[in-house]
Amino acid sequence: MDPKLTEVSQIFERLKAALLRNDFDTASRLLSQLKILLIEFKSLPPLFAETPNAIQELTLARDIYEHAVVLSVKMEDQDAFERDFFQLKPYYTDVGGRLPQSAQEYPILGLNLLRLLVQNRIAEFHTELELLSAKALENPCIKHAVELEQSFMEGAYNRVLTARQTVPHETYVYFMDLLARTVRDEIAGCSEKAYESLRVEDARQILLLSSDQELFDYIKEEHPEWEVKNGWLVFNKVKESSASSKEIPSLQLINQTLSYARELERIV
Amino acid sequence: MTQDVEMKEQQVAFPPSNSASSPTPVLQHLKEIAALIETGAYAREVRRILRAVRLTIALRRKLKVSVISSFLSFALAPGSEAHSRLSSYLPKDDQNDMEVDTATSASQATVKHSSELEIYCYLLVLIFLIDQKKYTEAKACSSASIARLKNLNRRTVDVLASRLYFYYSLSYELTGDLSEIRGNLLALHRVATLRHDELGQETLLNLLLRNYLHYNLYDQAEKLRSKAPRFEAHSNQQFCRYLFYLGKIRTIQLEYTDAKESLLQAARKAPVAALGFRVQCNKWAVIVRLLLGEIPERTVFMQKGMEKALRPYFELTNAVRIGDLELFKTVAEKFSTTFSSDRTNNLIVRLRHNVIRTGLRNISISYSRISLADVAKKLRLDSPNPVADAESIVSKAIRDGAIDATLDHANGWMVSKETGDIYSTNEPQQAFNSRIAFCLNMHNEAVRALRFPPNSHKEKESAEKRRERQQQEQELAKHIAEEDDDDF
Repeated sequence: MDPKLTEVSQIFERLKAALLRNDFDTASRLLSQLKILLIEFKSLPPLFAETPNAIQELTLARDIYEHAVVLSVKMEDQDAFERDFFQLKPYYTDVGGRLPQSAQEYPILGLNLLRLLVQNRIAEFHTELELLSAKALENPCIKHAVELEQSFMEGAYNRVLTARQTVPHETYVYFMDLLARTVRDEIAGCSEKAYESLRVEDARQILLLSSDQELFDYIKEEHPEWEVKNGWLVFNKVKESSASSKEIPSLQLINQTLSYARELERIV
Repeated sequence: MTQDVEMKEQQVAFPPSNSASSPTPVLQHLKEIAALIETGAYAREVRRILRAVRLTIALRRKLKVSVISSFLSFALAPGSEAHSRLSSYLPKDDQNDMEVDTATSASQATVKHSSELEIYCYLLVLIFLIDQKKYTEAKACSSASIARLKNLNRRTVDVLASRLYFYYSLSYELTGDLSEIRGNLLALHRVATLRHDELGQETLLNLLLRNYLHYNLYDQAEKLRSKAPRFEAHSNQQFCRYLFYLGKIRTIQLEYTDAKESLLQAARKAPVAALGFRVQCNKWAVIVRLLLGEIPERTVFMQKGMEKALRPYFELTNAVRIGDLELFKTVAEKFSTTFSSDRTNNLIVRLRHNVIRTGLRNISISYSRISLADVAKKLRLDSPNPVADAESIVSKAIRDGAIDATLDHANGWMVSKETGDIYSTNEPQQAFNSRIAFCLNMHNEAVRALRFPPNSHKEKESAEKRRERQQQEQELAKHIAEEDDDDF
């Protein structure tokens, strides 16, 4: 076996051990070492050189980046997740045919979908979705993220939150917690428009908070304009300016009419 | 996806030629075209070469091995590298009816041939090979032609080159190796940009977009598209394709309003003959409009030659219009094979949300007050907790402005507000304005698109008109003569 390959595999074993111990400092230190070592392999993206050890090197590199992604989730570092995921992606798309499929592929792809959802990058979410095959869409990890997006778009927020109990993979919990926060903000925004007032206990239930105190803290932090009056939560709606619709937007009309005249003159 | 490949040039009427004397009229035509290219190359008139390409497309169905090989001997010096290479791609023909022509070709072989003509020969052979479904040879031939093109830098070649790029990509697509040539296409696009070959850039950009979209690489496609230089379109066909790809990218990225505009424009600008392309545009446009909450008119689905292809989309539209989730599900399942071959499956999944919205809007219009349990039942939400689902769905619809209502949590009902008179708002005026702006814009674009080729009024005078004019002149002369007589 190639000495360099052996070295990398040894460090990788130590990285795996550190990950199991949840020793993040050691793990990230080992990971940066590994990344530097990986640069020397010619068979990896973007060079894809046909070396005798290509398959071994590619498999090893894929494993390393998969662990890097998991590590970034455990460290709750979204930027690192994005970087590591993009480094990992070519191993799935460009050399996917040459390697046996990784067991981690779908969980990680699903995780990425979830991240895009949490960051409200819906356009990218759908772009990624287009890349997945019909088989991939059937996978529980991916299906989970896809169904979440649908419930999110429809507004069935309680379904989003029950999904937290049925996470297909332990690493999903971090993003699900983040998602819960996004969902709460959405619900607050919707409730403000939809209700005139709510009983405090109902509001607590709808906003999915566990105690009244939490509710009051949330109101104070996010929506100071809401009022709490003898057990009722009153949303101070911005009074719809019905007066403005009766007013004629004269300046705009004049501009438009003048432009019609100008254009017509050009035609005739 | 392959349907839209062939966007045929409009058939051009043939100039009357005295080909009766020649034994193979097609060969005669080809020679005329060759002459056209020669003059075009000599006078540096790109227009002539463009015309030559159009004439070739019209000849396409009549091409035969014998005709092409005799044309090759006519156009290229026999024994030259290009001649032997191109001949090797052609299948061997038993009946040797080339004798007829050897005399003429031998006499003209001494003529110095332009590189335009050589490239044209590549194009002709390539088209022939693709039509004969000899894709392996077509791939070899197109790769050879691309290699040859790299050493040529002449504006008059650009037109032919852009055609070759197209068939190069097509031959690889037909064998399913589209990803192989991506690097080459990118290199060619770079070269075309450096040489200010705008037609080539346009064609290559489209081919690259097609290449990316073939593998659903929307991200890469959009990055390339947004960074590639844009200029006014040279070819209507290429522009249509560009609009179609742009529409697809935007649809995936949820920019529905822009997507709709591009797709509808592509469908409108496409030549009438390009039915497959227009069907594709319409399919996508229908879905985008549905996603926008619009309901396409029935006439969209009844366009000539498209009824059958658009049928699944028609039923889908119907389900969305009624707002019936069950019906929507059955339609989506019934035509799932069509949708997955059109690769619109994921978009249809997105539509579920619109079906609910429409259903909700119908309920809100019909009832002034309705319990949330009934809303859930009417929407046919199948979930463990339908009332809670309905409540949050309704509240989101209210926030997004889809319905005008309020919720009463304590009693568990939804109260619709009175719908105001829309004519008391500025809404109609805005709609009116956008329509006028559209018409004026269309007129301006039409004026800009008019082209006046030099001396066109002289060419247009046909034989009949000339006779008529001469007759009139004669009569006038006679008349004057008579008047003169009267004077005496």
